[in-house]
Amino acid sequence: MWVLDSAYRSGGVDLWGKEGSGRVQRVHHEYNPPFFFCLPDPDAYHEMTEALEEAYRAEPCTFATIFGECEGFRVFAGRPVAEAIEQQTGFAAQLFNVDVRRDQRFMAEEGIIPCSTEMRTRFSPEIPHNLEIMEIRIAGDPSLSRTCTEISVVHGRTERLFGDEREVLSDLFSLVSAYDPDVVLMAHADRWMTILQEKGRRAGFTLPFSRNGKYRTMGSRSYWSYGRVEHKNAALIPDGRILIDTEESFVYNEGGLGGVLMAARLSGLSPSLASRLTPGTLISSYETYEAVRRGIAVPFRKSDAEALRKLASLRTGDRGGMMFQPEPGIFEDVDEIDFTSMYPSIIVRANLSPETIADPETAERGFLPIALEPLLNMRIAIKQQKKTDPSVAGIDAILKWMLVTCFGYTGYKNAKFGRIEVHEAITARSREILLQAKAAADEMGFTVLHGNVDCLWVQGPRAPALQERITRQSGLLTEVEHLDWIVFLPQNDGSGAYTRYYGRHPDGSVKVRGIAARRHDTPEYIRKMQAEMFAVMGRAGSIAELEGVWDDVHRIYRDAAARLPSAPVQEMVISRRISRLKYAHRCIEGAAVVAYRQRGTDIAPGMKIRYVVRDARTYQVDPAGDAENFDIPYYRQLLEKAWKEVAYAFTAGREPGNRPFICPDYGQVATGP
Amino acid sequence: MLIELSRGVTIHPGSFTAVIAPERRILLALNGNKDLQRFLFLYVSGNYSRLLTGISRTSGNFEVRRPFTADQLLSVINESGHTILFVEHDPTLFDGAERLYEPVASALKQAGREALVLLWAPANDRSFAALARRADRIIEIIAEDTGPKGYGLPGRRPGRAGSGAPGAQRTLEVS
Repeated sequence: MWVLDSAYRSGGVDLWGKEGSGRVQRVHHEYNPPFFFCLPDPDAYHEMTEALEEAYRAEPCTFATIFGECEGFRVFAGRPVAEAIEQQTGFAAQLFNVDVRRDQRFMAEEGIIPCSTEMRTRFSPEIPHNLEIMEIRIAGDPSLSRTCTEISVVHGRTERLFGDEREVLSDLFSLVSAYDPDVVLMAHADRWMTILQEKGRRAGFTLPFSRNGKYRTMGSRSYWSYGRVEHKNAALIPDGRILIDTEESFVYNEGGLGGVLMAARLSGLSPSLASRLTPGTLISSYETYEAVRRGIAVPFRKSDAEALRKLASLRTGDRGGMMFQPEPGIFEDVDEIDFTSMYPSIIVRANLSPETIADPETAERGFLPIALEPLLNMRIAIKQQKKTDPSVAGIDAILKWMLVTCFGYTGYKNAKFGRIEVHEAITARSREILLQAKAAADEMGFTVLHGNVDCLWVQGPRAPALQERITRQSGLLTEVEHLDWIVFLPQNDGSGAYTRYYGRHPDGSVKVRGIAARRHDTPEYIRKMQAEMFAVMGRAGSIAELEGVWDDVHRIYRDAAARLPSAPVQEMVISRRISRLKYAHRCIEGAAVVAYRQRGTDIAPGMKIRYVVRDARTYQVDPAGDAENFDIPYYRQLLEKAWKEVAYAFTAGREPGNRPFICPDYGQVATGP
Repeated sequence: MLIELSRGVTIHPGSFTAVIAPERRILLALNGNKDLQRFLFLYVSGNYSRLLTGISRTSGNFEVRRPFTADQLLSVINESGHTILFVEHDPTLFDGAERLYEPVASALKQAGREALVLLWAPANDRSFAALARRADRIIEIIAEDTGPKGYGLPGRRPGRAGSGAPGAQRTLEVS
């Protein structure tokens, strides 16, 4: 059975499978799995265990954890009973498998994977399917307007529904019922679904997205991720069908439908749920599925703290990746040597896992290396395949994110199989590897221009020889990318910025990092200007040839500046994730939050808002949909800032042959050193 | 052996004391008392330590543990056999783990029967107040430049410093 959805219903697991004939079938499996617990002194709690045996069929048993076998009990009950045991034992009891999703656990125990018929295809990039796909596009932004008077339905052909809202909804619901798609793609689905449900109820229509009329709900919440606040909308997930919020789903935006199906396959969760997860939750779910599949109990609480340490050991151990600061400027014939999936490779090769960390060299292979190895091998293979087969790019992106996150997850406070010492050991080894690579480069006569955790930028004659040596001595795979020229931009204090650079590949494309064209909050008008400039600069294969494109690049800037007053207001939209709702000082972001609130929109930290600055001086900001004009001087400043990032290649970063350039609109002259 | 927070304000073994004081004051108390080097000292901080970088202790008796969850904090306190147990309060440990206020407070109280237990925060917050309920003593030292001196537990202080929120993230948080 090709499982397209799963849910825990009525004391069992519903699996929704698509058969070869195209028919979708629901199969219900009775399933009431136990949780496990063990106690430091079982005799002290004999009354409790006797009561559990009587009431919940508790049985003494032995179960496996990553640290070895545990003598304890299995209890056929749910989380409330587990929490009562915690309370009653004064939190001395260790509990396992309490919060593992039952549908995921059932599939892991039974050797079933979503989006495939066979377990052996789990790590294959091929995802054959005959899913019927429908895309629903509802005009408007649901955070600003709740009207559904214009909808396009794409299912082979496109049908446009518009007019009276009741009629439009009636037609939409009829189309969904008639076409009976397996996959529904909808921008802002998680916002629209509750609106559609509410409007449908008022009009006497039944929401048609579920195949059995049932929906699972996910609550909305704000949370911290990588040092910033994110927000997840509440969601209504239909049974028996895949519903993807194409606007909000990180997995879909990175990996497309293939990425969602692969995420489901790896995590053992339904595609609808997998599409709503962050990479961190995906890797966590993957590890949970792997643990259950291997008969390892998953801890409920994270109670094993960091071991005792001396202050000095903490100070030397608690550091991140190694960085070498670049000199700002432009450099010719540079090779970028990049370690492929460095951190996960270190976990696998160095046998780093919570249970092996005390002595990874002599310990048996740990859970993390065993679990991550197939994922890592798959990524390495798909990364190669992507070079000739771009269709796997989405799956590659998902794997990349999962592997990037698996490192950070080792230090995450709630990671089921994490431990801060593992996190530190990984970064310690990475620092060692980068230092060794730099030493090898120095020894072979290369100039190391920049280094950033898992990447080195070098200038020298024989990059393949250096790459071969680094690969041999580190035992990790590396890739070399040649850049005809590269610009490392300066920070405000004049020193080199670590993550703001751009450079030209031999095929003429320009690699860009950390500048306006890459930033999510850059208005489209400015992003397009920089993209156009880089397209022109891509014609220059050397620093000398850059001189030949100066006039064209400068003209792009002049034209963009001249056209700015008449530019479409929608190209001035700034998209930003808000981190808070209250601001101590007046600022543009705070004004945008106020504007959204005045519009009657519910907002929460972590939500993305889109706005246009009408008057920066008085903090007048409009939500994107309402904006009619914009603050020209404000956007001109942004434009100029983006221009300076590019102009740097022709002026201050240029040596020899620096030349002055002129920003004619302001009569401002900037000169090179 | 005792810790002198300011003139006349001392903390002795065999007690659990909750202290609200400026960072500088605590650092002075810890760094300035050479006598403390002779005793087994466990410094417990959460995700974000305000003090560790400023501590100049070189003694082998000075040890550190960093619990990242309230469950881990409870384990750390229960497993501690040190003469001095210094807990730098991290309110984020108790996000969604309010069920552990009482067990952690009890564990601190229990540890304070034999050791010198000090729970420190730069400002009061809900979780600190919950833990401090079981303390033998609650001491607040107001920074010299922030108005009139006083003792006792005042209401929540305004501003970022009062929130106990971290200035920068040290470990990854994902969901």
